[in-house]
Amino acid sequence: MMTEKAEPRIGVFVCHCGHNIAGVVDVAKVVESAKSLPHVVLSTDHMFMCSDAGQQLIKDRIKEQKLNRVVVASCSPRMHEPTFRRVVEDAGLNRYLFDQVNIREHVSWCHMRQPKEATDKAIDLVRMSVARAAELESLPIKSVSVTPRTLVVGGGIAGLRASLDIADRGFEAVLVERMPELGGHVRKWTHLFPADESGEQIIAPLVRQAEHHKLVRVMKDSEVVEFGGYIGNFTAKIKNHKTGMVKEVDVGTVIVATGFEPFRPFGYYEYGQHPDIITLAELQEMTPRADLIRPSDGKKVKKLAFIGCVGSREAGKLGHEHCSRHCCSAVAKAAADLRDRVDEVVIMYQDIRTYGRGHEELHRLARSKLVIYSKFPKEKKPVVQIANGRIRITWYDVLSGDNLEYEPDLLVLASAMIPPADVAETSKMFSLTRSADGFFNPEHIKLAPLTTHTAGVMIAGAAQAAKNASESVVDASGAAAKAVGLMARGNVEIESTVSHVIPELCSSCHTCVTACPYGAIAMDTKKSPPVALVTEAKCKGCGTCAASCPSSAIIMYHSTDEQILTMVEAYLCPSTQTTGGVA
Amino acid sequence: MPAAAKPQSSRKVAARSSRTAAKPKPAAKQVAQAALVVGGGVAGMQASLDLANQGFKVYLVEKSPSIGGRMAMLDKTFPTLDCSACILTPRLSEVARHPNIKLLTYTDLEGVIGKVGNFKVRVIKRARYVKEELCAGCGACAKECPVEVPNEFDQGLGFRKAIYVGFPQSTPSTYTIDMESCIKCKRCERACERKAIDLEMEDERVEFDVGAIIIATGYRLFDVRRYYRLGYGRLPDVINAMEYERLINAAGPTQGHLIRLSDGKTPQSIGFVQCVGARDVNKGVPYCSRVCCMYGIKNAVMAKEHNPSTDVTIYYADIRAFGKGFEEFYEMARTRFGVKFLRGRAAEIIEDVRTGKLHLRAEDTETAQPQEFEHDMVVICPGIQPPDDLDKIAEKLGVAMSNDGYVDVVHRYFGPVDTKMPGIFVCGCADGPKDIPDSVTAGSAAAMKASIILAKGGAA
Ligand SMILES: Cc1cc2nc3c(=O)[nH]c(=O)nc-3n(C[C@H](O)[C@H](O)[C@H](O)COP(=O)(O)OP(=O)(O)OC[C@H]3O[C@@H](n4cnc5c(N)ncnc54)[C@H](O)[C@@H]3O)c2cc1C
Repeated sequence: MMTEKAEPRIGVFVCHCGHNIAGVVDVAKVVESAKSLPHVVLSTDHMFMCSDAGQQLIKDRIKEQKLNRVVVASCSPRMHEPTFRRVVEDAGLNRYLFDQVNIREHVSWCHMRQPKEATDKAIDLVRMSVARAAELESLPIKSVSVTPRTLVVGGGIAGLRASLDIADRGFEAVLVERMPELGGHVRKWTHLFPADESGEQIIAPLVRQAEHHKLVRVMKDSEVVEFGGYIGNFTAKIKNHKTGMVKEVDVGTVIVATGFEPFRPFGYYEYGQHPDIITLAELQEMTPRADLIRPSDGKKVKKLAFIGCVGSREAGKLGHEHCSRHCCSAVAKAAADLRDRVDEVVIMYQDIRTYGRGHEELHRLARSKLVIYSKFPKEKKPVVQIANGRIRITWYDVLSGDNLEYEPDLLVLASAMIPPADVAETSKMFSLTRSADGFFNPEHIKLAPLTTHTAGVMIAGAAQAAKNASESVVDASGAAAKAVGLMARGNVEIESTVSHVIPELCSSCHTCVTACPYGAIAMDTKKSPPVALVTEAKCKGCGTCAASCPSSAIIMYHSTDEQILTMVEAYLCPSTQTTGGVA
Repeated sequence: MPAAAKPQSSRKVAARSSRTAAKPKPAAKQVAQAALVVGGGVAGMQASLDLANQGFKVYLVEKSPSIGGRMAMLDKTFPTLDCSACILTPRLSEVARHPNIKLLTYTDLEGVIGKVGNFKVRVIKRARYVKEELCAGCGACAKECPVEVPNEFDQGLGFRKAIYVGFPQSTPSTYTIDMESCIKCKRCERACERKAIDLEMEDERVEFDVGAIIIATGYRLFDVRRYYRLGYGRLPDVINAMEYERLINAAGPTQGHLIRLSDGKTPQSIGFVQCVGARDVNKGVPYCSRVCCMYGIKNAVMAKEHNPSTDVTIYYADIRAFGKGFEEFYEMARTRFGVKFLRGRAAEIIEDVRTGKLHLRAEDTETAQPQEFEHDMVVICPGIQPPDDLDKIAEKLGVAMSNDGYVDVVHRYFGPVDTKMPGIFVCGCADGPKDIPDSVTAGSAAAMKASIILAKGGAA
């Protein structure tokens, strides 16, 4: 892997990041101090290294000064390492001959009020990076092929949409649904806001198309029981509960659309203690008829009440801190619809979050039909009591300052959207992380909401966060675009910053196999004795194996022992380093 | 679809036609293997990338000199407070360097004819008087330029030269001469080592064929002057949220120093006024603008970050913290940062001329008491509206608009990103207010739909 080592010629580029770095760190001093370091040919600065002009500066200097190593002192590599790697590559250098020093998050931002010390620290970090840069080696650029087939997990509205888009685009989709029917929660809902259609009307055409599309393979009553592989090359074992048969499919990409579960709020507002206290989901499943009927005795409901935020927005209660997003608008729609069939509707709420297009109109419609909205305080929720079979609610109305009381015939609790009970298993199966709301974590909450930290695995719909069905449809098409993007290209590049086992040194102890959090190491049984072997496409370069190996048989490419120790040395012994300098 | 309008420019217009690039297998039906994306904000950029990554050619038409849209102007972003420029800049360069994306900035859509699968598009690339191929963005010209005018990118709070880039990460980094301010002294011409400046440059017409079109023209801010009693435009320390974003931005006109515009002093007490130009039937904006609650909270938190002793109050109607991580962020603003929340719409803001303080009158609806609060600065958080020229764009493309002025979609479930004109899709704020994650998601979804049309007859 190593090339013969030419004399290092290092260029150091220090970024001001506008005022972000230069406002604290004395950039000129950092530039100056780098000039005398060994192998440094050039040291300079720029307002924004990441801007086109900054990038051009690096490219020009690489060529003019025949640089063969580049150090950029700027922000965290998380964002811009790819940018600068590409810049050095454009100028003809291997991307691994670049090193980034973080003097923003690690220096200027956290030592904002100590400019002198911050500057000293930046100088130390740059010196360490330069030492490391001299030890950097070229690594190969590798890619793997992508199997042109997507596994879609979950046959709700998001899974259906994603499968159809992929198939319409000309790729195969394998749609796995645990239940005997496709359609998820939406199918059961008799009214769906903000549309006027029922859930069945929305879902049925999608199900029909999916079942007849020649590129969609629908597997109902089925579940993924085993999943392995890496981006472009996953294998899933899918078990049919009815037949007990297990099928294996190879796919290149995965979309997890396993949705949510309506929270059943036992312990809240006497839920479960009275047949006429139901959740919003249960209301939406009631068969429509001319009158709204009370579950307890089949009598017509005259007084209807809703309570919002049941199991949502509870600060400090894990899994229930989030807003469930869909409920305010769904309640407004249900209240406006049902107002025509009952005498009175009261909605108890904290905030009215009818944010989406057409949602505010539903809220206004409800009000115009004289639906009563009453705000209760966050700290003092309504109290529900059951006496003589009657439901009695007492609460404090914030806006009038009065304590109120109401005896509805039917009480509907707008309960939270929470992840399905088996979300932990799903997350383990596909190596997905979860955020505090319990739903899956996207790769980046703003700019990459549909991809995940597991390359090749996308998320869509309510699996990602509480959201309504129409939003889930948009997610699904978006996630499909990500999957298609990978499949259409046919192959993807993978990192070379992986670990490597030197077979001659391996003592076959299995320590690394158990230490690896990504299941990337297995014993190569073709060798005798069997030695550890790394599947590079699965390796994330975390270094756990190298650290645990008792025989020092594991090299971490791009973070070798020498590369790290030389930084330590440069930090501790600055004086020995200040001699030399080729410039 | 209306026939394309006559070219507006009477200048010489050089026609350039471009046939499309590499594509997946020949299509059964002849479909142009390229797409047009109108608007280079975060939604349009995402749509472009997702199409380009499938191997399709994309023409990304942006009317301003740089892509990036509104997000490029923001300081931090809710709900995680990452710096907007830091997460956006890599996207800008990704778009700019993508071999399948042809960036057409400072460009207007002139006309479109044809139908799904075969649209003929004409655009006018306005003269920027600097040659894109030669300019390296070094800025030597701007140093020499003697003319200073308010910078639009900084909401007019900072200055730029007559030859300028709006912001340092401007993509492309090509400078532009604003001819209305240029005094033709030619100093820039002399300063430019690469001979990139061409004061004789003319508008250029570019024509190309595409199979599908995506509208991603974003939004404009509600003009809060229309609420006369709130004092915006009359009282210097009443500013709008976008101005505030620039004021607290380290790369902004004050290098991130949060100061009052009247006297340059650090405000000790700031009020944020929500729902201005949103949820107001009388002002023709009946809908919720969806982003203001969260950006209001974000900016309130940022005031605390800049100066923890600042007294910060948000005047609101409902706090709509509905997205992933939003409610948690709201909670953090209240408890960890000590931002105060007062439920009530601000009725009036007046200035006490003796003290220079602002008096904000609002009813605290939780106590039903009309009250007066004193602040050093008030930030109005305007709602968002369709961009000014969206109706013209819609007319050129033949797509239907809803009565609130946004592009109408076919169906919330069956076609949430499809306009009523086949082959034309919409994403981001062009069909209604959205935050960044929702705009990005819609961008990907629109790309998916467009790619189905481009791929008709065979997959990659
Ligand atoms: C004060 C404020 C703070 C905000 N803070 C946040 C935040 O912290 N987090 C968050 O998620 N969201 C925030 N938002 C919302 C965020 O700005 C939007 O979600 C996002 O910018 C929408 O992206 P877009 O691409 O749809 O539109 P835009 O960003 O508006 O981009 C549209 C682009 O299209 C171009 N264009 C328009 N018309 C034409 C035409 N006819 N031809 C060619 N090009 C055209 C424009 O020049 C522009 O570049 C904030 C909004 C405001 C007002």
